[in-house]
Amino acid sequence: MQLDWLLQPLLAQLNTGVLVLNDQHQIVFFNQFIARRADKRLEHTQGQLVYDVFDDLPRAWLQRKLDGVLSLQAPAFSSWEQRQYILKLPHLRPLSSDSLYMAQNCTMLPLTAPDGVSHYVCMLIEDATDAYVYQLQLQQSMAQLELANRTDGLTGVYNRRYWQQQLGYEVARAVRYQHSLALLLFDLDKFKQLNDQYGHQGGDAVLVELSAVIGALLRDTDLLGRYGGEEFGVVLPETDLQGAVLVANRICKAVAEHQLLFNGQTLNVTVSIGVSSYKGQTADELIQQADMALYNAKRQGRNRVVAWQEPAEVYLKQVK
Amino acid sequence: MTDFQFSEEQRDCLQELVNVAMGLASDKLARYLNTLVHLQVPAIKLVKTEQLPEHFADRHQQQSVTMISLGFFGDQGLRGETIMLYQLENVGVIAKLLGYSDDDSSEAEMLTDISSVLTTTFLNGLAEQLDNSFSYAAPRILSSRDKHFAEKLASTAEQWQLALQVDIRYQLTDYSFNCDMILLIPGEAVLRLRLILDQILASF
Repeated sequence: MQLDWLLQPLLAQLNTGVLVLNDQHQIVFFNQFIARRADKRLEHTQGQLVYDVFDDLPRAWLQRKLDGVLSLQAPAFSSWEQRQYILKLPHLRPLSSDSLYMAQNCTMLPLTAPDGVSHYVCMLIEDATDAYVYQLQLQQSMAQLELANRTDGLTGVYNRRYWQQQLGYEVARAVRYQHSLALLLFDLDKFKQLNDQYGHQGGDAVLVELSAVIGALLRDTDLLGRYGGEEFGVVLPETDLQGAVLVANRICKAVAEHQLLFNGQTLNVTVSIGVSSYKGQTADELIQQADMALYNAKRQGRNRVVAWQEPAEVYLKQVK
Repeated sequence: MTDFQFSEEQRDCLQELVNVAMGLASDKLARYLNTLVHLQVPAIKLVKTEQLPEHFADRHQQQSVTMISLGFFGDQGLRGETIMLYQLENVGVIAKLLGYSDDDSSEAEMLTDISSVLTTTFLNGLAEQLDNSFSYAAPRILSSRDKHFAEKLASTAEQWQLALQVDIRYQLTDYSFNCDMILLIPGEAVLRLRLILDQILASF
């Protein structure tokens, strides 16, 4: 059976771009897939350099690739994951994609004419826009999940698990680079009363707003997390005790001065803050010390900052 | 269970074919890269695939290895997968070698490029020796800059029955670098390969 007739209709309808170049990188052939998408006619471009016909080709890169295929007589490949496209062609998914051009996988194959001496390169171009779009969506979903996984659902600050993990890293960093590091633990004063008076919605609104107020007072590198109910923590990298007490006082003052509106009523809330700083302790010990200082701040009348001081034994007795 | 072992003669014959293929590859690469390329005669070793991950985990530090796979298909059921293992500290050398130093190519792109150049040049030569010809799937990066290369190698290798380990050392006038190449071949292809080797042996 004679099969030659198959070639033209197949090449024309193939859902893959076929572009054939000679050893001077001049256009010999391209199929309908490319002709229609690039809006070019073969008879107008035959014999021209591929770089002159298609705009914005990565010229140096493509030249090297094509020369490699010709001299090694071995195929070369390009994946959309490393180079999104070679030919700027439109794709058929204008709505679902934020990419303007077709993502492409390209195979470059060495071809030799029946005369045995004329060498060509055949570029096969496959549309990988779907894979590209799915990959983008996957990355976005992963980023959202990662964010959700470290965020406290109510207040938007770090959740306890993530915050504590970061504290661990910061302690490790302080050990390795001999940096200072401080920790604040603070607690809303009389939160139970607030809840009783305004309901849990009122309490929640206060937590959300205060998180924002306090977050705005911190540096980008400081880590604000919700430790539990109405208790929050701030990790202050590269900060000594004195600096941490300054920050704590600033927070204390800002909260006390902040007027919260809930259901048309103005609420005044205050926080008590315990401060500890790194002097060779573990992360757990740092938390424990800040917590004891916080307890002391409460005991001394609330709306104040107390720094943890040695010796711990004396404090423990006082607490008890 | 089918025995996929090679006889002494078959192994020697395969080593010889690999040597010739390397010679051809070295010649082509030298012309392409415009510098003298010396590919040392590679030592080949037939390894049980289940031993591979352990073997390579011992050889390489986990986090500094990039693993790139390239599948190949020939006639008569001859097919397989090559895996190239690179030390990441060699990336700069590879970039210079390929003339990539002055453009925007990513590390991943350079490594897939050099992998396909090295493996297809070598495999084309091997196919020629076996009176066959190979077509290739695009190279894939299996693992890079993460800790799991040994596990990934294990899950890749477990689909295959035979691994042919080829240690390659590329030496160029100004640079030299080592990489490991592993040829993974499925059971039917091993049987096929043995038949071909026997034919070649018989013709001598």
